[in-house]
Amino acid sequence: MNLFLFLPETVLLAAIVILLCLTLAKKDYGTPVLGFFLPALGAILVLASFSSLPHSGNLFSNAYRVDPLAQGFKCLIALSFFFTAILNQNRLSIPFDREIEYGIFLLSATLGMMMMTGAVDLLALYVSMELSSYSLYLLASLRQDRRSPEAGVKYLIFGAAASGVFLWGASLVTGLSGTTSLLEISGKVPVLIWQPAFSLGLVFASFAFLFKLSGFPLHFWAPDVYESAPTPVTNFIATASKATAVAILIRFFMLTGIPGVFIAALGALAFVSMTLGNTVALVQQDVKRLLAYSSIAQAGYILTGLLAGSFAGYSSSFFYAFAYVLMNTGAFLVTSVVAKTANHDNPRLSDFDGLAERSPFLALLLLLSLLSLAGIPPLVGFTGKWILFSAAMDKGHWFLVLWGVLNSVVSLFYYLTLVKHAYLEKPVVSAPIAVSGGTRWLGLFLIIGLIALGLFPNAFITFAQQAILKGAAL
Amino acid sequence: MSPFPILSAILLCPVAGLILVLLTPRKFETAIKFLSLLAASGTLVLSIILCKIFNTADPGFQFVEHLEWIKSYGIHYSNAVDGLNVSLILLTAIVIFCGILVSWRVTYRVKDFFANMLFLVSGVFGVFMTTNLFFFFLFYEIAVIPMYLLIVIWGSTNKQYAAMKLTLYLLLGSALMFAGFLYMYSLPEARTFDLLTLKQNVHFSPPIQNILFLGLFLGFGVLAACFPFHVWSPDGHVAAPTAASMLHAGVLMKLGAYGILRVAVTLLPEGARHWAGLIAVLSLCNIVYGALVATQQKDLKYIIGYSSVSHMGIVLLGIATMTTVGFNGALFQMFAHGIMTALFFACVGFIYDGCHTRMADELGGLSKQAPMISTFFILAGLCGLGLPGMGSFVAELLVTIAAVGTYPMIGITSITALLITAFYVLTAVQKAFYGPVNPHHADFKDLDWLQFVPRAVLVGCLIFFGIFPSVFLNWVSLSTKILLGG
Repeated sequence: MNLFLFLPETVLLAAIVILLCLTLAKKDYGTPVLGFFLPALGAILVLASFSSLPHSGNLFSNAYRVDPLAQGFKCLIALSFFFTAILNQNRLSIPFDREIEYGIFLLSATLGMMMMTGAVDLLALYVSMELSSYSLYLLASLRQDRRSPEAGVKYLIFGAAASGVFLWGASLVTGLSGTTSLLEISGKVPVLIWQPAFSLGLVFASFAFLFKLSGFPLHFWAPDVYESAPTPVTNFIATASKATAVAILIRFFMLTGIPGVFIAALGALAFVSMTLGNTVALVQQDVKRLLAYSSIAQAGYILTGLLAGSFAGYSSSFFYAFAYVLMNTGAFLVTSVVAKTANHDNPRLSDFDGLAERSPFLALLLLLSLLSLAGIPPLVGFTGKWILFSAAMDKGHWFLVLWGVLNSVVSLFYYLTLVKHAYLEKPVVSAPIAVSGGTRWLGLFLIIGLIALGLFPNAFITFAQQAILKGAAL
Repeated sequence: MSPFPILSAILLCPVAGLILVLLTPRKFETAIKFLSLLAASGTLVLSIILCKIFNTADPGFQFVEHLEWIKSYGIHYSNAVDGLNVSLILLTAIVIFCGILVSWRVTYRVKDFFANMLFLVSGVFGVFMTTNLFFFFLFYEIAVIPMYLLIVIWGSTNKQYAAMKLTLYLLLGSALMFAGFLYMYSLPEARTFDLLTLKQNVHFSPPIQNILFLGLFLGFGVLAACFPFHVWSPDGHVAAPTAASMLHAGVLMKLGAYGILRVAVTLLPEGARHWAGLIAVLSLCNIVYGALVATQQKDLKYIIGYSSVSHMGIVLLGIATMTTVGFNGALFQMFAHGIMTALFFACVGFIYDGCHTRMADELGGLSKQAPMISTFFILAGLCGLGLPGMGSFVAELLVTIAAVGTYPMIGITSITALLITAFYVLTAVQKAFYGPVNPHHADFKDLDWLQFVPRAVLVGCLIFFGIFPSVFLNWVSLSTKILLGG
């Protein structure tokens, strides 16, 4: 067995074991673990993921397929983990005595997500999905106040229901095709697709992934969880979890195809997601909630690309997932620092007042991240949206594209409102905001990434296309 | 490929200026201003050189630059000039040069201000020179977003409302463009965003031409302040700081009209003919309605704002005639109006800084107190009402000739609107600059030499092109012929 195929996962497993041992120690290692161990591990994980990028093959009796698609998304998840580990510097509402547990669940969630990107067996898929989901449920309810458990339970119940629907769908698919391997199912699709039960099974199975993407109608958890989770966790859910959802949707749709009726249904869901997310975001005062509704709208954009069901659609979704991680991390980085300064973990719009005077650097990062989310050039979100929508347009979904762009204009209203608070309003406290070293470097990296990838996307687009090509070849 | 990529050099000047300004520490304000001025002078010099070496005998694209960008999507970084855009590049260079000089007196967040100005103008240059729809859109939005910040941070008079309104309107317009561009790309024979390839390879069927043209026209029309989508423009002009108003009314609105010619008319000539009547009617609304509203305004900036709406109507009317003369007139009007409004806003901004009011009634007698600024304003006003010898006279004449030929009723009505223009311009001039001096602003000082230069440059351009219109017409006329398939 080629170790490179499983290198990032091995690193994560080893780290989990180390942390489990640390919990047994009498002395509390929470601070060094979060302050040093996790960022260092994040760096190692990113290195491991990138170094294993060229390798591909099948593992564990073909339940696990490591190809450029999986490897690419693993890199993306590793990056989100690394970013989150750095944001931990600004943590506010993670209880001191749970810091190591927090680390463990973060690692296990990452492990689950990485395995999801490579899983090509329905059972392996289910197990890795639950591993990441349960870790996230726990992470979301870590905060010690009354709202947090509520959000955790909401997340759990919705998640469990989504898993149930997935299992039902998976059982239909398995029952009709006689195998749990997606690779084998893929070969039988042309015959089985005429059976309504099979199509229904595929639709149900993909519903669980829609839950992860927080697309309508499975979006209800997002605002509460975003709001009540500690900010680094929110960042992790908003980036890594969404990227995984895109990965698995690409993989699943690519292997099984999208049943014709389902395309129309997905189009309707994308339509509602965009509209609902953007309109509700207009009236939000809590920034994390606002970003949650923005993510529901973004799920609509991504679905628009995915439902094209074409080579261009998948590769541009991959590109957009990467863009999405960068710009959301930027927004959450600023949110976490502002939360830390305001000393409560739910910053409101008014907490951003005068940010441009208190820290021009953070204000710039916020501006770029939000404009990128709104799809304004020359940032990466623009390029991503351009190729995403051009894939949808190719398949004749002109109405969704038009609606999507009009929605971007609506979204600009609330993004600009936040920008206005940062640049225009007078601050209540005018003391400069100190940005610690790691956060500053990450911010700089994000600013450069947002602009550079927006202007020079060719290499990455080519990579995404290669990954999709190789992922499609059985 | 020309030996020296002069177009990229023109674009790179403000970009390099922007980067240098961003790298300069905030406290070196004078250095930042000089860097910006240097960048603006660089583009101005290069643009003048471009106009000098521009070959008026060649109707096609010149100085073509081409670079693969995103290969799989048919996106190239490609620039070129022909008669349509050579004058607009010059216009942009002149206005930014004067805008930077006019902004010399900015004291609040100097670094951010100049960075935004340079960023904005990079976008404008990009739109004017690119021949790829992807970059067209990219630069277009780059030109819009800094405007929001410029208005919201340095603006006045209801600035938050105006800034948000402007941004949302303009991006709404761009949403239609976006969908239109992607639709063109998605056609099987297209698969590229390159304007020339699209023109050569793709023949759009008549119904598609009609729908696409309408969409693109509405998209561009928002920026060109076409009635009834003009409502953002007076508010935006009034709220913006002086230099931003200059750029905005002077250059940014021209992006819309340029887009109509460069993209919509070039690619969809039959669609353009189909909707020409509608455009003519809308443009007449612009001309008459803008002028009528301007007569009712007290604030000098609002008067200019509505006069811009009226004057952009003349540009649109020229396009609607679908004749060479009309196109020439429209392009000339774009140029002349750009210079003229920039001059208007430069004057009003100076008066507002000194007197702290822009109400025509509250000023009074400025011509005795500050003869130079008054002269400049009055010259701009005379240009606005189409005095012979000024740039816009020729432009309006050409458009009117073409319009009377194509749409007699509309053409004749538009002439009467000129009388309204004369009425409101002269009324404003009389109230603000003649009559008794208002003691409230007795200490108002006239221009110093630094503030004199940019306004003098603008007036010089107006008069130069008013006396030698053939210089301008030589640039454009061959290319506009090609546009009509001649």
